Amino acid sequence: MRFLVELLATLVIALALGLASAWYMVDAPRIGLGVGAWQAVPAISSATADPYTRARIARTGEIALGAGEGLVFFADGDDRGTAFDGACDYSVSGETPTARLWTLAAVDRDGRLPAPATGRISLTSREILRDLDGRFTVTVSASARQGNWLPVEPKGAFRLVLRLYDTPLALSPGNGMTMPQIERGACR
Amino acid sequence: MIRSLVWMIGAILLAGIVHIVAVIGVPRFAVVDPWREIGAIANDEVFTRLPRAGPGGKTLPGLDPAMTHSVCRFSLDRGPMRLRAEVADAYWSLSLYDRSGLWVWGVDNRAAEQKPIDILVATDVQVAQLRETLPDELEDVVIVDWPGREGFAIYKLLVPTKSQEAETEQILATAKCGVAQFR
Repeated sequence: MRFLVELLATLVIALALGLASAWYMVDAPRIGLGVGAWQAVPAISSATADPYTRARIARTGEIALGAGEGLVFFADGDDRGTAFDGACDYSVSGETPTARLWTLAAVDRDGRLPAPATGRISLTSREILRDLDGRFTVTVSASARQGNWLPVEPKGAFRLVLRLYDTPLALSPGNGMTMPQIERGACR
Repeated sequence: MIRSLVWMIGAILLAGIVHIVAVIGVPRFAVVDPWREIGAIANDEVFTRLPRAGPGGKTLPGLDPAMTHSVCRFSLDRGPMRLRAEVADAYWSLSLYDRSGLWVWGVDNRAAEQKPIDILVATDVQVAQLRETLPDELEDVVIVDWPGREGFAIYKLLVPTKSQEAETEQILATAKCGVAQFR
């Protein structure tokens, strides 16, 4: 009797541990480079993709950037590690690694884009306003702001997605990488 | 004490097996892989413009909202596929993905300079046949040796400003995809 109970408990624990760890690894990219609040999505190519990446793509159906195409970073919180909240303003400032083009967008945790009144849902390096020394500041806020403004929904968590196109970083990530800083401003 | 330790080690080993089986099993039993998602919103072997990524509107997950995209799902059963498109001055890229949605090959506006896109996707056997009797018109065409028989292409163009949207959409509409015809 004792044997049966122990066997059953072991099986249940094994199943729960195995499935939970598999879910954790497949749910979001966990292996990759992190800089400050930013986490790089490892470059994806059919020749080198690991089983976790294969499973994630099969599950979400997402179209990832190719290895030679560029690199995607995402951030779920500011530099202090506090999760983003639509009730607060955030400033994303500094510079990005070298890239011919970059785009910045905000999505919710399921990857959906917000529906702001202005219709603007992303910023690109071509249209952004910069200082004389090439640095920029983007204000992420639910209400209109001067300068570079990226709207988000006024409630709930969100994720910033920075896509770098045609960057040498895609081939050798990590070398002298400078990512924009993310700081929290006023909250409502 | 020893007895529960043995059970614990057993549980961890078994959890490892469950983990591996689950991760490997997902692509096999997935219900929303990119291949099927594309089949649901686009016809095969023709470039279909995807709605701009945005709130609402049926499009594919993970697309950049700053770009406009067109997708062509293909199979090489009836012969090599030829993909052609005009290009823009601003950023563009054409990427080829395999049956499971993983990136295989791509070209962007730096690699191709400003020449129109003209590529031929073919299996090993088809490539060998082409090399034997290369039609004249294919001399300038880039030939991509394709792993497997199925895949899809995504052509994307940056929409630099709202006012250039119509112009960019026109260039996107020039993308053509179809079984290669040689004379």
